[in-house]
Amino acid sequence: MIPVIGLLAGLGLGLWLQPTVPVWLQPYLPIAIVAALDAVVGALRALGERRFNDRVFVISFVSNVIIASAMVFVGDQLGVGSQLSTGVIVVLGIRIFANAAAIRRRIFHA
Amino acid sequence: MSQQAPPHAGSGPGRGGGLLEQIAENALDDDYYVFRGSQPRPSWRTGIVVGLVVTLFATLVTTAAVQTRNDRPATELERRTLAADIEARQKTLDERRAAAAALSAQVQALQQTGDAETGQPADLGVLASSTAVEGPGIVITTTNSQDDLEAGRITDRDLQVLVNGLWYAGAEAVAVNDNRVGTLTSIRTAGDAITVNYRSIGPPYSVIALGDPESLQTRLRQNPAGAYWEDRRKRSGVEFAVTPSLEVTLPAVPDQRLDLKHASTLEEDR
Repeated sequence: MIPVIGLLAGLGLGLWLQPTVPVWLQPYLPIAIVAALDAVVGALRALGERRFNDRVFVISFVSNVIIASAMVFVGDQLGVGSQLSTGVIVVLGIRIFANAAAIRRRIFHA
Repeated sequence: MSQQAPPHAGSGPGRGGGLLEQIAENALDDDYYVFRGSQPRPSWRTGIVVGLVVTLFATLVTTAAVQTRNDRPATELERRTLAADIEARQKTLDERRAAAAALSAQVQALQQTGDAETGQPADLGVLASSTAVEGPGIVITTTNSQDDLEAGRITDRDLQVLVNGLWYAGAEAVAVNDNRVGTLTSIRTAGDAITVNYRSIGPPYSVIALGDPESLQTRLRQNPAGAYWEDRRKRSGVEFAVTPSLEVTLPAVPDQRLDLKHASTLEEDR
């Protein structure tokens, strides 16, 4: 229940305040979101398997976001920012798909 | 399905399967399998922390979406501005190119008229006797008669007639004892000697004319100067020999004899 309220609250906050992302943060936001999405989907799957643990979720969420942004930052400094972003997106994308597939199997038994 | 064995991150590359497969297998954070602390207990603290994280996530997603949406018109505007810029620059470039083409055509036309009016500077130098020249020509060697009579001495008039005869025969450049004959050159007697360009010369006199050797010889023989010298040779015994040469060299007129002190170009001819 609380997570759903949080989701709605976050949506409302974003739409209502429409905060402007600082320019220096803009390259990292999309990657951070994909990393966060990975953590969220993983949490959903764990929830389905009755393994959910709030500590694991919070830590994996935060660390995912930080590591993904850090990789893009380091890549930018080394001049391979876009390639590294692509790599991060690919890996996270595969994880998201795999987790989504597990959830799907669990729900539809197929 | 739910009780499937927890995959291990350390199962190693030796087990086969590509990197992608491994990623897909370990999709769920191992932590959910490894962490076996206290079983999740429904409590306010847990719910609130998770709720906060979810709120943060939703805010991030919304912000990014809103930002992307808001940025789009700016990007579009930028693109359109750039396109307009490019078009304007291309137009300018075309105009400049056309201007350059017109100007170069103008330059070419002016150069042609300039060439037609003045000819080549090198040719002018030859005509004005201000440059040394070389080419085929004839060498005339002449000296006083052996008997040392008054009539057998070569005078300034003899040389004037010879030089004029050579011009008449078509010589392009004439020199007397290595003194180029220019527009201001005089050949006159001064005391016992003859001066050319104010320089004294004595016998034997060597008159060099630049031009086609064949026609110079023929025409000199046929014109009055040739006849005069033939007469001089026969009557007074002065020696007179014409030698064709494939390569004669004539110096330029000395600078003092090229200085113009009074003459200047007509205004309309400039």
